[in-house]
Amino acid sequence: MGRKKLKALYIRRLVQLIVLAGIILIPFYSQNPYQWSPSRIVLGHLPPPRVLPVSGDTWAISFGNFTLIHPLAFVDYIVSTKSIYLPLIGAVVIPLVLTLLLGRIFCSWLCPMGFIFELNQKINNLMGRIGLRWSFRIRDYRFVFFTILLIAAFFFAIPALSVFDPPHILAREFMFIFTHHQVSLTGTLFILIFLLIEAFSVKRLWCNRLCPSGGGLSLLGAKRVLNIRMDKELCIKCGKCDDACPYDLKPMMLSEDREIDWLKCDNCGLCRDVCPVSAISYHLGMRKRIEK
Amino acid sequence: MMLQLLRSKDTKPYSIRATRREFLKQLGGFFALGILPFRTERRVILRPPGATRDFLQRCIRCGKCIEACPYDSIRALDITAGASIYTPYIDPLETPCYLCLQRGPDGIDRPISKYLRCGDACPTGALKRIRNTRKVLEHLPDELKIGVSKIDRRLCLSWQYDSCGECYYNCPLKDKALRDRPPNEIIKVGTGVRPYVDPDYCTGCGMCNYVCPVKERIARSYMDRSIKLTYFEERYAAMVRNVIGSAGGRVRLPAIKVERIV
Repeated sequence: MGRKKLKALYIRRLVQLIVLAGIILIPFYSQNPYQWSPSRIVLGHLPPPRVLPVSGDTWAISFGNFTLIHPLAFVDYIVSTKSIYLPLIGAVVIPLVLTLLLGRIFCSWLCPMGFIFELNQKINNLMGRIGLRWSFRIRDYRFVFFTILLIAAFFFAIPALSVFDPPHILAREFMFIFTHHQVSLTGTLFILIFLLIEAFSVKRLWCNRLCPSGGGLSLLGAKRVLNIRMDKELCIKCGKCDDACPYDLKPMMLSEDREIDWLKCDNCGLCRDVCPVSAISYHLGMRKRIEK
Repeated sequence: MMLQLLRSKDTKPYSIRATRREFLKQLGGFFALGILPFRTERRVILRPPGATRDFLQRCIRCGKCIEACPYDSIRALDITAGASIYTPYIDPLETPCYLCLQRGPDGIDRPISKYLRCGDACPTGALKRIRNTRKVLEHLPDELKIGVSKIDRRLCLSWQYDSCGECYYNCPLKDKALRDRPPNEIIKVGTGVRPYVDPDYCTGCGMCNYVCPVKERIARSYMDRSIKLTYFEERYAAMVRNVIGSAGGRVRLPAIKVERIV
């Protein structure tokens, strides 16, 4: 058993809340307060310009002159323009290296939509208990969707991935609200429809089956270094980790020398937190191939 | 005299005479203006200053230019724009581009930042970074040119009445892009401020489009009494109606319009 471990969940929730707060507060502070007044503004009487050092959302964010870019935004840009803009390379290095080494931790640790969907999952569990859940089977279309969008980006020369990135859609909603004082039907409908489907039907439908950004990040993090590891001697086969996994990956299979779907695992650490004997832990290093 | 009579507010709702007079007035207005004689230009969508030719390829729709804009002139397109959803645009009739300038009490426009802020914020180079000094703005680099203004002289109050000059006084490149005399002549024509656009210097920021009083709202207020005009609009209201009435045909408002280039 050993000493009491620090739950990954607490740190993860803290980070997610910070990102969500940033997504709401950045457009709030960058709005022009004079736009709320009904009178017109001509060049003569102008509002004081607001200068905020932080701007952007999860797709591209700047702290002063230091810019960070989502790795898929970089891929999207290259595919659609068929060229490389050199300042982008500097902006993408840190996120890209983190994704290559640590897998798609963006989905579990940063994505604000993932956070909302995770909370929504609790409603789904409740509905399952009451008997208000109508689930259906659906295949994993993430990679198909990702490929289709990349092909579209290549042939129509538009960065198509950016349109289907849910955290970006959410951030754009708040920007619409605070800078234009309106709600765009596009993003709101998208978010509401998937919240409803995930509450009453398939658990984590978007993250699990459809998200093209998640698919792209999975492919980028296929050869990652950070993985969960199961200690076979400690495992008591209680099955709690199987219930906890949001993607139904069944981590208990690891104790029986069977592989889980590593592409889908996003290192959220829920199985590690829930394990009563601390058999599951994070492990830095290449995955060992399990011989059959 | 006639106009004052038309605009008088002493009509009594309970008097048949008054309601008939009101009805005739509306009927007269209807014929004078014709059925829908004016149309607002199909929404002109300008790209932010510094937009390159391959703007749609390069823009990753991150929305940072929208957050950087100090006047919230830049907005994002929605799903009705199809594939260019979430790309930034400027609607000059809503809010024009102020070219990151601030006019002081002495009437001189001063830059509020070192670079035009949208281009400075753009991470992918879809918007070029342009230094925000008066010298650069007057030199007019090709990237800065997002449109060009055109004046409809049949509708322009200054051309018809010698009295308006709103676009001239509010132009950020006053005496350069918008002039009170023809670009190549030294002698003033007429007595008032008759605006001329110099297409070599007009950036297409849309400020003239924004301040032009020949607006659909003012024209409609003749028939629709529920529209409340501000003091500024009231000043030009009678002239606007007359100008639209005399221009006839299906004219497009306002009198000065921006045409998109990029």
